Amino acid sequence: MNWKPNPLLIIGLAAITAPIVAHAKIYVSVEQAQKILIPNKSLVKNPIIITDELQDKMRSASSIRHPFQGDRIWRAADGSWFIVDEVVGKHEMITYAVSLNSSGAVTGIEILEYVESYGYEVAEANWRKQFVGKTAADPIKLNQDIQNIGGATLSCKHLTDGVKRVAVLYEIALKNQALSLKAK
Amino acid sequence: MIRCKPLLGTFIEIRIEDQSPPLKALDEAFLAIEQVQYLMGFHNPDSELSHINLRSHLEPIRIHTWTVEVLTIAKEVYLQSQGIFNCGIGHHLAEAGLLPRHFNLKDCSFGGIEDLQFIEPTLVKSSLPLCLDLGGIAKGYAVDKAVEVLIANGIQAGSVNAGGDMRVFGNHLQDIQIRNPSKPHELIQIGSMKVGAIATSSLYFANRNTNSKSFMVNPLNQEHIEFSESYSVVASRCVYADALTKVVSISGNTYHPCLEFFSAQAISIPATLSL
Repeated sequence: MNWKPNPLLIIGLAAITAPIVAHAKIYVSVEQAQKILIPNKSLVKNPIIITDELQDKMRSASSIRHPFQGDRIWRAADGSWFIVDEVVGKHEMITYAVSLNSSGAVTGIEILEYVESYGYEVAEANWRKQFVGKTAADPIKLNQDIQNIGGATLSCKHLTDGVKRVAVLYEIALKNQALSLKAK
Repeated sequence: MIRCKPLLGTFIEIRIEDQSPPLKALDEAFLAIEQVQYLMGFHNPDSELSHINLRSHLEPIRIHTWTVEVLTIAKEVYLQSQGIFNCGIGHHLAEAGLLPRHFNLKDCSFGGIEDLQFIEPTLVKSSLPLCLDLGGIAKGYAVDKAVEVLIANGIQAGSVNAGGDMRVFGNHLQDIQIRNPSKPHELIQIGSMKVGAIATSSLYFANRNTNSKSFMVNPLNQEHIEFSESYSVVASRCVYADALTKVVSISGNTYHPCLEFFSAQAISIPATLSL
């Protein structure tokens, strides 16, 4: 073990260190996540129009109110799916990717972006803009400055709800599409 | 490269500093964490932990060497802390709605980790019904396993962070920040670490309703406890760091003798710290 405590903290002078405000992280890009979750297969973009009815069903199954965007769905030749979605909680916004096999079972989940905040910042469009178009290859300053954050556990319950709505999406929209493709 | 996956009920972040690391190193590290979740998850009714909780007072249960190791460490910290650390409090958390109920809790009088006995190196039996929750230490253990996998794959430097329980390795100091318990979105630089682990215990993210109980239970009087500060423990392995945060936060003693036994140090951040 090799540990050097911050001397300012030990002598009770933490007051003079400026707080670093948590925190936004970009982990992997959509392309990287595709290679991680569905390796060695080419994916074809397969956007879906999300009807109000589908949106409602996804909402009631997952309790996530934030609308699902149907333009981030890909399909592989073997029938597996790759879907990117976001969950916006009171304290965080998480962009994540889910892979499903040809029978709709979740085969993997990867976090693309994690923006932690206290609600109002996420709602503020300008605040959000600073992350638009950024990828893991183009690290934002926050990403470099803040690496190792300890502290109490943040629950991943919201994300679990997000994955639930992707499962509903499969049942209602993707499964039938797969069947009709087979029938052709 | 840095990747993040939801596992063990939190977010697991694995960071590798090497320029072109073998990609399988990260995959294998995440698999090790999944394996810990599969073996020791309270939420999964088919985990080895759930089998122990359901049947170890009725018949001997054969367990994986990783589960053996975590239970052995749990017993060791129980002994050294004179019972302040005891993972046999799962029924209190289930009764408070903080963990799922897999069986009827009402008819049981539960024992603790001290009632679990090893008949053989991988065979356990209990003298009383058990409701063990390995939550924290299994998370710390998973972090250690992931680091072992990375090092075995030749990775030179990096870190694994499981919702705030973290371990770093490599040949240069890495800054460590923890959350300010009174304003958890603010971070305090508490030091830097080259090789080692740190875990933190606090209730600021408990996300509780006003009526619900704290997830921290004092095993000595079986009561849910409340505190507003945060307690961090630095140790060589994350499994010890996590277990010892319970000892420190329940006793309120950052100089508990148990820390020295495990070559660990504790840091308390008061909720009144102004920045």
